[in-house]
Amino acid sequence: MATFKLDGKPIPFEPGDTIIRAAHRQGIEIPHYCWHPGLSAPANCRMCLVEIQPKPGQRPLSLDVLQLDPATGEYKTVQKPKLQPACYTAAAEGMEILSDTSAHVTKARHDVQEFLLLNHPVDCPICDQAGECKLQDYWLEHQKTPKRMHDEPVHKPKGVVFGPTIVYDAERCVMCTRCIRFMAEVAKDPVLDMRERGNLNEITVSPGRQLDGHYTFMTEHVCPVGALTTKDFRFKARVWFLRTAASVCQGCATGCNAHLDYDPRYNRAYRYRPRDNEKVNKYWMCDEGMLTYKEAHEARVLDARVRGAATTTSKALDEVRAVFSGVAPESIAVVLSARYSLEDNWALRELGAVLLGSHNVFWTGRPDGYADDILIHKDKNSNTKGVLELAPSARPLQALVDDVRAGRITHVVALGASASVAADGLAAAKLVTIAAHEGPLTASATVVLPATSWAEHSGTYVNAKGMRQIADKALEPQGASAPAWRQVAEVARALGYEPSWTKLKQVRAQLLGTSPEAPASSPSAVGTASAE
Amino acid sequence: MEPLDIELEEGELELPAEPMHLNMGPSHPAMHGTVRIVLELSGETIVKADVQIGYLHRGFEKMCERGTWAQVFPYVDRLNYVSPMLNNVGYALAVEKLCGLAVPERCQWYRMALGELARISDHLTCDGAMAMELGAFTPFLWFIKAREMIWDILEEETGARLTHSFGRIGGMAKPPTPAFKDLCRAALPKILQLVEEGERMLLKNRIFIDRLENVGAISGKDAIALGWTGPSLRATGVAYDVRKAHPYLKYDEVDFDVPVGTRGDTLDRFLVRLGELRQSKRIIEQVLDRMPDEGPVNCDDPRVVLPDKDDVYTTIEGTIRHFKLIMEGAKVPRGEVYSYTEGGNGELGYYLVSDGTGTPYRVRIRPPCFQITGGLHKLLEGRMLSDIVPTFGSLNMIGGECDH
Repeated sequence: MATFKLDGKPIPFEPGDTIIRAAHRQGIEIPHYCWHPGLSAPANCRMCLVEIQPKPGQRPLSLDVLQLDPATGEYKTVQKPKLQPACYTAAAEGMEILSDTSAHVTKARHDVQEFLLLNHPVDCPICDQAGECKLQDYWLEHQKTPKRMHDEPVHKPKGVVFGPTIVYDAERCVMCTRCIRFMAEVAKDPVLDMRERGNLNEITVSPGRQLDGHYTFMTEHVCPVGALTTKDFRFKARVWFLRTAASVCQGCATGCNAHLDYDPRYNRAYRYRPRDNEKVNKYWMCDEGMLTYKEAHEARVLDARVRGAATTTSKALDEVRAVFSGVAPESIAVVLSARYSLEDNWALRELGAVLLGSHNVFWTGRPDGYADDILIHKDKNSNTKGVLELAPSARPLQALVDDVRAGRITHVVALGASASVAADGLAAAKLVTIAAHEGPLTASATVVLPATSWAEHSGTYVNAKGMRQIADKALEPQGASAPAWRQVAEVARALGYEPSWTKLKQVRAQLLGTSPEAPASSPSAVGTASAE
Repeated sequence: MEPLDIELEEGELELPAEPMHLNMGPSHPAMHGTVRIVLELSGETIVKADVQIGYLHRGFEKMCERGTWAQVFPYVDRLNYVSPMLNNVGYALAVEKLCGLAVPERCQWYRMALGELARISDHLTCDGAMAMELGAFTPFLWFIKAREMIWDILEEETGARLTHSFGRIGGMAKPPTPAFKDLCRAALPKILQLVEEGERMLLKNRIFIDRLENVGAISGKDAIALGWTGPSLRATGVAYDVRKAHPYLKYDEVDFDVPVGTRGDTLDRFLVRLGELRQSKRIIEQVLDRMPDEGPVNCDDPRVVLPDKDDVYTTIEGTIRHFKLIMEGAKVPRGEVYSYTEGGNGELGYYLVSDGTGTPYRVRIRPPCFQITGGLHKLLEGRMLSDIVPTFGSLNMIGGECDH
């Protein structure tokens, strides 16, 4: 592969790479605001300027500049190399580029940073970006000097509502145009643009429009500073108190990789952020998906219930034992859920097919919904592919409704509360539901056992492309909930069987046919290094 | 009582001769710093002394590794809590060594002055408390009166009498107050006068001398083998003082002597401390003459030193600098360092490891009295029970720094 030299270090590159992209791929960061690996390069922030040394025998590109000589107090003309933006300059074989080692580059970064902070308001204490702000990071890395300008800074509009989700602060904006480019290039809805120039420069929404659609949250996430904030996260948490778990979005079958940010002090999730994965979601997520972090807390089943009355898990299991005693296995059905992990579904399939000897395996999930050709999949379940891999012969819920109506099935153990069809038909059967959230199948259940949501345990999900991805545990289990695979084991014990699993490791080992000591899975699609 | 009118063999009258076990401490008025000595006594003679430390163990090294580099200062205050300023300065010097920072000259003089004040207070406390434990309460009060004068100065300078938390990476929390030099110049003669009065009462007292002389003696060779430093080592005649042997701050630019003993006994340790506080006075007087009244105290490195509050509230650059230093901590370059200074009891060493983040990866402290307390049993075995109090007192074991 062709290489160029960055600060003396050889950097391989692919044809068409810019300098910054080739360096980025090697894990070397050239400071930048406006460049984003998933967007076009406008080269307008000037933070990534590098010094490209002339080829041997070639005249160097240089500029005449006036420099103050502190000894004489006079200005004199000196030569300075013409610096080039690394985000716009194509890499070429044998290029010699100076970045951190060039005094000119160091000075340029310092000066660019000083300009960016020239009119910046003193907002860190009230800014949601503080703690993950590039202005803060780069000040310490590249500027380190106090303010020299003592005039009143230019004031611009603050708290401008761009739409139902996004609020804009023009004073904090560095005009990198990432949000404009995201809306135009990725969301294919060029609703943002820039108006005026210089000090009056600001981002605006097209007249007659507002910033809406399915990808507005991404404008906040591409914003390198605190100019764009989401109404959802605004003033809710300080980022340095948050911890992050590598999760997988549960909103649809795309399975976008995400960071789930939570506060361990309150055991509460605060937001989703996209986690870069070239093979799945690149750098992006949709609004609906990013808001699904709320499902870690909303409409949760936190206690066991028997006929609608809250009780302890052990009493609920006694009830399960009573309800199921003497029931013939062929009249028992299990219902897998496309919204639960492979581990949970495997445990229930094991209970149904192996322990109970029942071949009445069904599956359900949420009904289909909106889809687009960017990220959003019409299948609103995170693990449909996984469930159908586990139980290829599983029949849809409608078949179970028919069986119950016909009296062939009298007892049902269901995972999850969502139903792809109207579940009224199940009322005739005795239903035991293991669920994290309220839904049609908990409403009509005889016994409900609380399960942890995806945020509270590690689980594997298979997305629409058939990629197995692991969502890590973020929160501690809420209420009396326990992972569904463990609740299934409890149900198995209540029915008089000894399940073959007590630990997640054992579930994964049997699920994947590997020994418990081997790594539970090879999540090839999970956890590429986060880029931004 | 009348003698028993029973015919007995001479031998049968002897008391059972099994050694007696006695716990001295952990709660005993003379066991300051909470330490326990398990004694095996034959009569009043100590056959075996098992010194057990750890009653003040708080895991401060681990606590230091939780916050930022700057948040370590309050913890080191509580090592040798009789001279917290020396610990502050020692830690600041260690981090600065790792960062490759040099503090301005004014700060170096200021640190020396405050440190030597702390040393005087340390030695006064040790000698005064030891005399008190032997029944000499009056000189204790005079020594403590002298110590109060030092603490008044430190309170004026730092706002706190005992746990100052006054050191900073790259400087001190505040510049010297305008009255600092005058306060010191006024207090030092008075302190010395009080010391001399107290000293006269003790050193002309036959009982006091008898209880100290030749008690708890140790040779210089043994003391070095045990890792002793500080006044306890110098009492044996070994003139090792970090300030002379490996000068830091401006100690190579001031004149002072290193008082040494000859026998390494309790009296020598007592006298060495009294000699040292006179040398500290000498140092402070030179420092006061040479410390500039103007000029910066903190170095101007934005990586470690907090900006002025005015800048924090009015400029974004100041806010960012403040935010980064407080929320993430000063980014100390990756590496490890051992830095050592002369503490109140000897060589106070800090071994620091940085992984390049704002939080120390490892903070290991070498408290001088850990090694010294480790040799206590050697001084006691073979001596009488009553020798424990002066011997232990003269070592100045401080639980806060010893137990780690």
